[in-house]
Amino acid sequence: MTINGVPREADVWPGESLLFALRERLGLPGSKNACEQGECGSCSILMDGTLVCACLVLAAQADGHDLVTVEGLGENGSLHPVQEAFVEAGAVQCGFCTPGLVVAVADLLRRDPTPSDDAIREALSGNLCRCTGYAKIFDAVRIAATRA
Amino acid sequence: MSDPRATGSARYAEDFELPGMLHARIVRSLFPHARVVRVDASAVPESCIVLTPDDVRDLSPYGCQIEDQNVLAERARHVGDPVAAVAAPTPEQAEEAVPLVEIDYEQLPAVFDAVEAAQPGAPLLHETAAAGGAAAYFAMRPQPGTNICHRFRIRHGDVDAGFAEADAIVERMYRIAGAQHAHMEPHACVAHWDGNRLELWTGTQTPFSMRDDLATIFGIPPEAIRIVSLPMGGSFGAKTFVRTEAIAAALARKAQRPVKLVLPRSEEWQTLNRHPATVTVKLGARADGTLVASQTTCYADTGAYADCGPGVAQKMGFAAPGPYRIPNVRVDAYCVYTNLAPNGAFRGYGQMQSTWARERALDTLAEQLGLDPVELRLRNIVRDGDVYCTGETLHDVRFAECLEAAAAAVRWSEGRRGKGIALVMKGMQTPSRAAIAIERDGDDYVLRCATTEMGQGAKRALSLEAARLLGVDVARIRFPDPDTSLVPYDTRTTSSRSTYMMSRALAEAVRDPRGYGEIRNEGGLDPDTGQGIASTHWHQGAAAADVEVDEETGKVTVTHLHTTTYAGRVVNRLGAELQTEGSMIMGLGTALFEEVAFEDGQVINANLSDYATPSFADVPTRFTYELIEEDGADVHGLGETALPPVPPAVGNAVASLGIEVDELPLKPETVLAAMKVRV
Repeated sequence: MTINGVPREADVWPGESLLFALRERLGLPGSKNACEQGECGSCSILMDGTLVCACLVLAAQADGHDLVTVEGLGENGSLHPVQEAFVEAGAVQCGFCTPGLVVAVADLLRRDPTPSDDAIREALSGNLCRCTGYAKIFDAVRIAATRA
Repeated sequence: MSDPRATGSARYAEDFELPGMLHARIVRSLFPHARVVRVDASAVPESCIVLTPDDVRDLSPYGCQIEDQNVLAERARHVGDPVAAVAAPTPEQAEEAVPLVEIDYEQLPAVFDAVEAAQPGAPLLHETAAAGGAAAYFAMRPQPGTNICHRFRIRHGDVDAGFAEADAIVERMYRIAGAQHAHMEPHACVAHWDGNRLELWTGTQTPFSMRDDLATIFGIPPEAIRIVSLPMGGSFGAKTFVRTEAIAAALARKAQRPVKLVLPRSEEWQTLNRHPATVTVKLGARADGTLVASQTTCYADTGAYADCGPGVAQKMGFAAPGPYRIPNVRVDAYCVYTNLAPNGAFRGYGQMQSTWARERALDTLAEQLGLDPVELRLRNIVRDGDVYCTGETLHDVRFAECLEAAAAAVRWSEGRRGKGIALVMKGMQTPSRAAIAIERDGDDYVLRCATTEMGQGAKRALSLEAARLLGVDVARIRFPDPDTSLVPYDTRTTSSRSTYMMSRALAEAVRDPRGYGEIRNEGGLDPDTGQGIASTHWHQGAAAADVEVDEETGKVTVTHLHTTTYAGRVVNRLGAELQTEGSMIMGLGTALFEEVAFEDGQVINANLSDYATPSFADVPTRFTYELIEEDGADVHGLGETALPPVPPAVGNAVASLGIEVDELPLKPETVLAAMKVRV
């Protein structure tokens, strides 16, 4: 498989989740392990351009596919515009949900560069944040949208 | 502008690793109350280490306020009580080993409701009262022969005489469901023994309480323990005191290797929740609305172990009368054991529960008197220099301003149908201590400080304050993760106290030639009379809500949620805003749908789908707030203030439509039932 543009290999056991392989075998702990059943979105990544919860994908299923994690969202070491917008809007508290959220917002803006508030609610309702109250994350999405 | 939290490079307790470490899982009781008669680990592969009650018999019982809990239970007192634990080279091997540990139980009678459990004849969870723990900052009043582990009272004036002169009396019972913190990062720690020295890396709000409790458990001096508090992916009170750390440390002791323990999400509901409560409020007033008497009885369900429940019950009790002038006050608050998972600190710390009850009762009283609820409150509201029912004088009082601003935000004067309002008066940990040391390192300043970071922004707030006091750029302030072997003692990062207490200690340290500053706030209450100093500093706020109720389904939609809080001098503006927004949305979850649901003592919604926390979809269309600021005033903690008034503001808004609900959450079926008996 390719992860963040780099070909990677890992030995996995049959029941292992992609999230586990990323975190424990491939040295990519940016995707967060919070619920292990696709309820919180903290491990959101892109698989062949589709937003998925890495905890719901078997590691073996990722064989031959192209993955982008939070670590590979920005290019050449610089921040992705969505990451910049999160920092600028102050949309981060503990930061545990942030890796999944920035990947999900990047995916949303790629599909819908000028999302309405309803579209933002719909697209991000699978990414839980317990700290912020979401208001500044809305702000971050709007900031990122103006720059896309 | 970069931030490690936005790039995935931030590291949390969950990400911490040591070479050669094993991975642990806990083997938990399947029954709410049962004697463990046999633990057989013979089927577990030899590559795993198994910890059984035999391995921990030399360890002392623990508990931050009452030492009533053992590292492993020989008598399980709740579903999920740790009975054994395993450590294996990989997490999956540990998971596979759990069902291989065979346990035989002898079931015992169980009780799941605090009011029932407090009655004589209820099955007892702890036959004898245990010793007070290190974090007991007030005298415990266990009631022998019952499940009541602490009783707190306020006696002020003569309530019977007060009610005798009342023209209107309201008496109602309110029930508040338990809630789960649902911090996004589960509990995670790594324990390692270096000879007789224990090192522990964990996400904890209470590094020194953790150190002292582990010293008690393992019978070693506190100085032989080093706690490093790593950044937490949220906590909200959950990562306080000993949770999983004693098990990890006992496994590491047996394995002679480092052990990492990360809780699977479902086990969070078996580890710590918020106290379910039953609160009965009786209020008496004259025809003009003047309050003459207030009587409150609180039952706080602390679950199988006291944890900090006595403190929660006490705060539930002393916050119950609220920011009103009432000549006659009586409060009885009980902290009660039941066979549910332990309940402990949760944002709002007991005060949400009694605030819900009192503020709902006030609206019912206003209705009975034919008064506007805002008018009723203003007629009785405490002002600067008033004496609270505990005997302490209140200073820098801004309740009227908070209330009036919140009412204006929802255009109260233009009609109050569908609108509700509520006030909160919240105490801060008293007594407590804070200390900090400032070290020079080249051009930089290093803060040696036990204040922990869980997303609340304490590091940013204190770094900004240090930069301001030292007159340097904030980039020159460094704030390493708290390490008990390097930082001076601090009570805890709880109770919205850190910015207030630690910034004062910081100011002392800047003045001190050695760079050391220490602050104490003295006080405390007599548990039998409630007299003394409950809080050296009160958090003040109001909430207002505008709601719609679906007549077909009973679903409540909050179209506008507003809070006004007294902020004093704001240290970290972004942090103040985020903490307020986060408190409001958490209050909304409590108001509308959050509930830990049980069946025969078993949590039946222990996942983030069935236990719903607010998502983007739940944010009210109008979501506004105001911080009342004043230069030169005290710093006021804002970590929790906006939470407790939100549920009663929503409940009062629903009641303004003739739908009287006394239970939280205001879930559709509850609201529908109340609509059938609409007033």
